[in-house]
Amino acid sequence: MSFRRKLLIVFSLTVVLSVAGVALAVLALTRRAFEKNEEQQTTALITQFQREFERRGADVAQRVERIAGLDVVLRMAAAGHATSVDSAQYLDFARSVGESWQLDFLEFLDENGKIISSEQSPAKFGYPDAAFESLSRLNQQPAFLKLEELQDSSALGLFAVRATRVGDHPVYVVGGRKLDKNFLSGLDLPPGMRVLLYENRTDHFSPESLLDPGAGKNEASSAEKLAPLISGVQHSGREMAGLVKWSSDPADEEVFHAIPLRGTGGERPLLGILMIGNSRAAYADLKRRIRDSALMVGGAGIFLAILLSSWAAARVTRPVERLAQAAQDVAGGDWNARVEVKGHDEIAQLADAFNRMTSELLAHKERLVQTERVAAWRELARRLAHELKNPLFPLQLTVENLVKARTQNPEMFEEVFRESSSTLLAEISNLKGIIGRFSEFSKMPQPQLQMVPVNETVRGVAQLFQAQLQAPGRKAIACRLELDEKVGSIDADPELLHRAISNLVLNAMDAMPEGGTLTLRTRLDGGQAIIEVADTGSGMTPEECARIFTPYYTSKQHGTGLGLAIVQSVVSDHGGRISVKSEAGRGSTFVIELPVERRSPQRTHGEAPENSG
Amino acid sequence: MKRSGWQWLAASSLLIGAIAAGGETRPRYGGTLRIEMSAAPASLDPAEGNVPDSFGRRNITALIFDTLVKFDDAARPEPVLADSWQAAGQELRLHLRRDVKFHDGSAMTPESVAASLRLENPAWKVTAEPESVSIQNDLAEDGLLAELALPRNAIVKRDSGKLNGTGPFRIVDWKAGERLSLAADENCWRGRPFLDAIEIEMGKSYRDQMTALQLGRADLVEIAAGQVRHTDQRSMASSKPIELIALWFAKGPSSPEENALRSTLSLSVDRTAIRDVLLQGTGETAGSILPNWMSGYGFVFSAKADLVRARQLRGQISPAPSWKIGYSPDDPLDRLLAERIALNARDAGLFLQTTSTPSADLRIAHLPLESGPWSSLGQIADQIGAPLAKEHGSLEELYAAERTVLASGRIIPLLQLPVSYAAFAGLQNWAVRPDATLNLENAWMESGAQ
Repeated sequence: MSFRRKLLIVFSLTVVLSVAGVALAVLALTRRAFEKNEEQQTTALITQFQREFERRGADVAQRVERIAGLDVVLRMAAAGHATSVDSAQYLDFARSVGESWQLDFLEFLDENGKIISSEQSPAKFGYPDAAFESLSRLNQQPAFLKLEELQDSSALGLFAVRATRVGDHPVYVVGGRKLDKNFLSGLDLPPGMRVLLYENRTDHFSPESLLDPGAGKNEASSAEKLAPLISGVQHSGREMAGLVKWSSDPADEEVFHAIPLRGTGGERPLLGILMIGNSRAAYADLKRRIRDSALMVGGAGIFLAILLSSWAAARVTRPVERLAQAAQDVAGGDWNARVEVKGHDEIAQLADAFNRMTSELLAHKERLVQTERVAAWRELARRLAHELKNPLFPLQLTVENLVKARTQNPEMFEEVFRESSSTLLAEISNLKGIIGRFSEFSKMPQPQLQMVPVNETVRGVAQLFQAQLQAPGRKAIACRLELDEKVGSIDADPELLHRAISNLVLNAMDAMPEGGTLTLRTRLDGGQAIIEVADTGSGMTPEECARIFTPYYTSKQHGTGLGLAIVQSVVSDHGGRISVKSEAGRGSTFVIELPVERRSPQRTHGEAPENSG
Repeated sequence: MKRSGWQWLAASSLLIGAIAAGGETRPRYGGTLRIEMSAAPASLDPAEGNVPDSFGRRNITALIFDTLVKFDDAARPEPVLADSWQAAGQELRLHLRRDVKFHDGSAMTPESVAASLRLENPAWKVTAEPESVSIQNDLAEDGLLAELALPRNAIVKRDSGKLNGTGPFRIVDWKAGERLSLAADENCWRGRPFLDAIEIEMGKSYRDQMTALQLGRADLVEIAAGQVRHTDQRSMASSKPIELIALWFAKGPSSPEENALRSTLSLSVDRTAIRDVLLQGTGETAGSILPNWMSGYGFVFSAKADLVRARQLRGQISPAPSWKIGYSPDDPLDRLLAERIALNARDAGLFLQTTSTPSADLRIAHLPLESGPWSSLGQIADQIGAPLAKEHGSLEELYAAERTVLASGRIIPLLQLPVSYAAFAGLQNWAVRPDATLNLENAWMESGAQ
């Protein structure tokens, strides 16, 4: 991964994490603020409900008290005092009075609790009111909650009891108003809040018992979502709160506070549950806005990070990239590669150091080349002196013999002259040969490539030298061919390849004056055709191996030191390489590796041979 | 002198008062009587079988048409359009009254009477004879006379869809099921009625009728049983009980246990409390289908609640039944009855849920009894799906038939109600017959009453 990309990721991560951290912190603070506000609103609503409850209760009590004071009720009590009250006379009385006084529930009970007239259950005349015992105790008391049993259902209401007496015979007036949707609709609710009422008719949750003033078509299915909260209050009897998710949209979430409503009496039965809902739409909206803002800021931050990283790249990574490119150029051989130095920061210092380093290296290399050139010239001079000294010495002796014969033995001069002339010609011919070889090395031709069968070439060389290997006057050398027939043709100059192998064979013959075995071997290794020439001679030391391909170096008495240099030159021109494996006393093996597919000779021009010993 | 002067003054005052009173009770011609009724018949033709028989329909029929005979309060046949009759075997010969004319002015002839009877009774063999008609069928004389006294056998002359009768009023305008205008027939064989016209509004609820009466928009209305107590008794008249309120089960009992549960329900109902309070004392508690005045044996069937016995019966059957008791959503009294019965049943350990939907196990049924004992019982038996073997018979046979119907377990009689009418104070000389039909033949209206 590039430094620029790393820089971009680091910048982006920094921005995103920073924005996310800020957003989370804002969200937490917002949530806390909303929860506090929600708690305050709920408390205010409960207070308002209690106030409304008390107000309506007082209103109910006042109406019931006024009804109890009606003359007709007094007459009812008087009739009860005399005999018994005739329910037939009052069948519609409770209904008509209840409607007039806008009471949803109104019953007149005699002293035994039997219903004389009932608005909500007119057919119940003569039956005792089940709650009479507690009702009679609530005479003149403030209004209270009561779950009124109707024919096939029940209803929660605010009730009050007042009694009218004639003598010791009272008539109880029990009146009330329903806690229904109208009651709930009358509450002044803050925006986003609503109130539901659950009538606790049974121990288990029943959707029909939930009064929702704003309920729509899916009332029953919606009510089911409140079941866990309601059931919790039913079982614990305590106030509870919970989050209700009406849909997958967070804006539809609502926090509900379930407050138990209890009746009168010692047990204070749970008659209803007030459900105060607080919509989280505003909170969800704010949360969504914070999230959107965070995303927007994050996006902008990432965009900024890209710009910053580009700028930083311009300031930081571009010099580094130039430095890297310069280093690669140097590795590729361009010792003149330089990096532009701008500013005085660490990158500039690094670039300056790099430039100084390459300058030093170049100077060192030039010094090394100069040194090597001097050494080569010295070696060349030594070799030339050595080569030229050998034929010059006989020339000097011959000329001295001629001079001596002319002066001391003129009669012998003719004979000596003939002999000396032939010697002089021979030595001059030797000198010309030496000069010709040097000239030949300096004029190595460029290979003319064509498809050359490797094995055939190797066999040709072996056949050429067969006679010399078995020549009389020297110890016999056995020639062994180990040719892999998979090795086919390669792109090569047949003349030069033949000459290179021949030089190696000559070299091996020179290494085995006492005879031995010459092995010529071919094989394929990857994309390379391998030609090995091995002898069983005395071998070479590692130092010799290291210098064996140096021009004009030789370990032989009469070698020019150009044979292996020519071989290396040929192999190098074919895009291959040559190496030697040798062990003192166990012979040497020269390995030529040539590419099967053609490569540009120029590309392998600088490759050095490998030696291993 | 002083004493005699006072005596003369007192005597003169009494005489003037008596003369004045006598002037007010003297019948007078004129006036239009406005009636409102709950029934809304789609046809005025007595022979139209698709229109259910009711006292409302009978009221209308009696104003326009006459039958050949009728029965008095003592169930004795009286001549109407037939002035005499003789029975011989399966044949009854009725001598027709002379000089009777239909409302279109044509004379009533044996042929027109025979045509009317043939249309109404295709199975009868009716022969027109000079001044009489002869009827041959398999009914006995009493049975045939009872049939002839039924409104559906009223004599009608049908002329291209126009109906002509011989009754005191002729049809002026008729809007089916809504309004009927009648005018006095000047040539009525019984003499012109005192009233000039009658306007009848149909399909009105009891409450609307009472409101119309109180606001002076109607002169004569029907009143619901629960309103009887609150109505001025001086301007009110009731029939004998001719409507049965009963519990009607949709299906027969599926097992003896269920039959016992139905008996439990019958024993649990406090009919007296229902009559005294919900019906404001109107009607009679009933253990029988037919009222005692109609059958003479109604007292044999007990209508008393017996909660102890009911609980015993209930205790013998383990699975608690859950029935739905239905009531008409248009009738508040029905709902009260259903709720009261559910309360009574709960005392006996039965659970009844009230409902106004048609899918109920049992419902509050109002069964008319005005067609006479055999016909009324026959209609109920037909509804149960067990028609009576006979359409007429002796008292013992009637008793046995009623026992059979009750034994079906489909019906629990509760109350028998009369039909009551209320009229404005200026309507004079009107009456209600035992079968709840109005007798307006001699009714008249005081001057300045409208």
